[in-house]
Amino acid sequence: MQMDNFRNERDQYFKEIDNLNHPNETLVKTHCSYCAMQCGMNLRVKTKTNKIIGVEPRYDWPVTLGKMCPKGVTAYQQVNNKDRLLKPLIRDDQSLKGTTNGFREASWDEAYDLIVKKFTELQENYGKDSLSVYSGVSMTNEKCYLTGKFARVGLQTRYIDYNGRFCMASAAGGLNRSLGIDRGSTIPWTDIQDTDCIFLAGSNTAECHPTMMFRVWAIQERGGYVIVADPRETPVARRADLHLDLRPGTDLALANGIVNLLIQKGHIDEEFIKNHSNGFEDTKELVKQFTPEYTSAITGVAPEKIIRAAEIYGKAPNAIVMFARGIEQQIKGVDNVSGYTNMALVTGKIGRAKSGVATITGQGNGQGGREHGQKADALPGYRKIANPDHVKYISKVWGIEPEEMPKEGVSAFEMFGLMEQKTIRALYLLCSNPAVSAPDQNYVREQLKNLDFMVCVDFFLSESAEFADVVLPTTTWAEDEGTTTNVEGRIIKINQAQMPLGESKPDWQIQVELTERMGRGKYFSHLKTSEDIFNELRVASKGGTADYYGVTWEKIDKQDGVFWPCKDENDPGTPRLFLDKKFNHPDGRAKIFALPYRPSAEEPDEEYPLRLTTGRVVYHYLSGNQTRRIQFLRDMCPEPFVEVHPETAAKYNIDHEELVRLYTRRGETTYQVKITEAIRKDTVFVPYHWGHEKSINLLTIGALDPYSRMPEFKTCAAQIEKLKIKKVQ
Amino acid sequence: MKKRLYLELENCIGCRSCLAACTQCGGHEERNRNYVYDVNPLVNRQTMPLMCLHCVNPACARSCPAQAIQIHETGAVLSALVEKCIGCQNCTIACPYGIPKFDTEQNLMYKCDLCIDRSKDGIPPMCASVCPTNTLQWLTDEEIEAKQKQFNLDNGKWVTSMPYLEGETNVRVNLPGILQGVTKLF
Ligand code: SF4
Ligand code: SF4
Ligand code: SF4
Repeated sequence: MQMDNFRNERDQYFKEIDNLNHPNETLVKTHCSYCAMQCGMNLRVKTKTNKIIGVEPRYDWPVTLGKMCPKGVTAYQQVNNKDRLLKPLIRDDQSLKGTTNGFREASWDEAYDLIVKKFTELQENYGKDSLSVYSGVSMTNEKCYLTGKFARVGLQTRYIDYNGRFCMASAAGGLNRSLGIDRGSTIPWTDIQDTDCIFLAGSNTAECHPTMMFRVWAIQERGGYVIVADPRETPVARRADLHLDLRPGTDLALANGIVNLLIQKGHIDEEFIKNHSNGFEDTKELVKQFTPEYTSAITGVAPEKIIRAAEIYGKAPNAIVMFARGIEQQIKGVDNVSGYTNMALVTGKIGRAKSGVATITGQGNGQGGREHGQKADALPGYRKIANPDHVKYISKVWGIEPEEMPKEGVSAFEMFGLMEQKTIRALYLLCSNPAVSAPDQNYVREQLKNLDFMVCVDFFLSESAEFADVVLPTTTWAEDEGTTTNVEGRIIKINQAQMPLGESKPDWQIQVELTERMGRGKYFSHLKTSEDIFNELRVASKGGTADYYGVTWEKIDKQDGVFWPCKDENDPGTPRLFLDKKFNHPDGRAKIFALPYRPSAEEPDEEYPLRLTTGRVVYHYLSGNQTRRIQFLRDMCPEPFVEVHPETAAKYNIDHEELVRLYTRRGETTYQVKITEAIRKDTVFVPYHWGHEKSINLLTIGALDPYSRMPEFKTCAAQIEKLKIKKVQ
Repeated sequence: MKKRLYLELENCIGCRSCLAACTQCGGHEERNRNYVYDVNPLVNRQTMPLMCLHCVNPACARSCPAQAIQIHETGAVLSALVEKCIGCQNCTIACPYGIPKFDTEQNLMYKCDLCIDRSKDGIPPMCASVCPTNTLQWLTDEEIEAKQKQFNLDNGKWVTSMPYLEGETNVRVNLPGILQGVTKLF
């Protein structure tokens, strides 16, 4: 392809619009710090003082055209927030762990010296693997890549994993298994409005990825269909043509039921099945059992609705299946992903424009961050530690012997188990807040307390930082530069708008300085800028599935981002996957999976008759560590609540806004009741963005998907108790 | 080319990004000037923005004894002039939609001015710039007409100022129900 003038598509919504330029201000083009929509924005910077003071829409970003949700609009208020950590903190009194007390300010040198001393002591006494790194993907590719190398080469431990286990791990597992590649979307987002049917499963799209909503509504305005499968009538379900109001945890039955109907009613693409897939006959046999009535009995969705959904999806000339955490955060998350992907495979609605499959990635860099070696079993470029050739290649890039490469570690939640057993004795935590986001909090907080030594790197004193011995102040996204890979698989550029506040430093710089002090500097000292790291990442990913070798920062700028794979300088990238119907399994075929249904880890019973499901509100991001500190967002949603159907509320004799005790086998807490008909009668919902005693994760279950090790946040058995006291008005 | 604020109420998801963005407009002192309303909160999640409609003959301005509410040449009905507003709150009562807000500390009315420092030069107001659902759009009259045709809307039944509103407005409103006229593709 001719590279010189290539630019990714701009669609019918693109308009040339000027920005408002205030005098004495500079606009810095970048993207939002939060979700994987990675909305384009301009940060307004006071030129003289180099202070970020506001936001201006970025009309020329082709994916979001200036649109932002309220988190994005106020994101800049993190940067100079009064809660920013400006100096390293040390706490000498370990008995104060789990509180905000006892921290004193220290110099970087003192903090580094203490960390090196503790890490070295522990490794001498208990072996290299007594250290662990727990990371996240709300940061740039450069940082995610370096963190994997930091753990394995710098600290020489096998124990590294990341919060994607609570986010994208099931999608990754399912897509790899079905399609042989885990790029979250097979199509660019600029295709969405032109499809004829979108099937959204387990996605509260309007609240979690609001800026794709104008494209979703446009489908209906053209006469196409929106189908939503969700236990709640979310804002997108409210206007959907069809709302499949299933019981939490029963997605696999629904997917099988629809695939069965697609086959029975002749909506399949025989040519595609024959030439480009495996596994159809087994699947056909297995799904036979899932008649509309049988599916309805498991899912609670009326048989007519299931039939209608299959009819619409089957008849649609083009259709997109999309899913999110609702189907993925289950002990059968990987199966759910493959199950819904089967819909596209049996009908051949994949591998062309306006048709395909996508997971709607959660965290800002949930895509890129899982590709370059922060995962317990993975190395850069989506390589595997279990594969000796992969280890050989990466060892060469890193300048170590293959024998020195640590073996596979364990998943994020399983690391807490190793802390309990004292296999892991120290933790280096960054870009994550497991003291809010992990399930079964009573257990998790106990394990954090149990550590011999803990370092937390953050720009705010998060709930998790309360367990640390040393807290290192890092920068916010706007004080560093680098790349992220958005929901589409498009690599984009984050730009620096302000110098680091106080003494804060970007994560990559902290890691380079620490390894130098640990005597491992020769592997890191050459990395002087974020771009140096990106260029090493390019080489490390070269030839891997997620190949970034042909991506440069300059190309990103020129083309409005680059879709991976992008193999060399002349490759403009790959906006649409499988256009040649070649899938990434060795035989070039996709796999249609026969997936037997299994129940959730904890089904309701007499003692705990309700299904508890958890999720998000539009005003907060992940553990809320960032968004709870922003006035507008806090004003809009200051507290968690429990959503209850009015009939269920009547049974418990509870009223709107009354305080109730909500409890499961693992924990309890009190919440204000929000009565709404927009939820199933057998289900209650609580958003998870709060910590301490308000955390719904005190109640959730640590049961894991066998493949992805993703916890089952989306369903467990719960009970409500009416309290004697009413809320004081 | 004159552009107008155009509302398609059916699209709203209640994210209140319009309100967050309103605080970001240079002249807005970080206070938001409009409303997003939960239509029936105990029943469903329907929401609607309640914006100043920039009436052609604005009741707020007419009711003001101090001529504090000016009308810009673009038709935008501006926020009260600090030096003129006497804090009588007539406007808050006169407006048929309850739009003007009142700051008791400053004894001053404040309202949507369509981000006049932007819209006077054709730059969309902040709310319409960020609205993730296209509930709020900034369109030319031709584009609004095209919408009317696209949705097969007879006699101004859905794209409307009159007769459903109190008087003619510069902002065009598309009431919920927009999809009723859409023919399905299959
Ligand atoms: S949180 Fe997501 S949808 Fe909202 S502005 Fe940021 S990137 Fe866009
Ligand atoms: S920004 Fe748009 S969708 Fe969000 S509340 Fe305002 S009008 Fe509704
Ligand atoms: S809607 Fe109310 S505040 Fe706006 S111009 Fe009309 S009368 Fe004035």
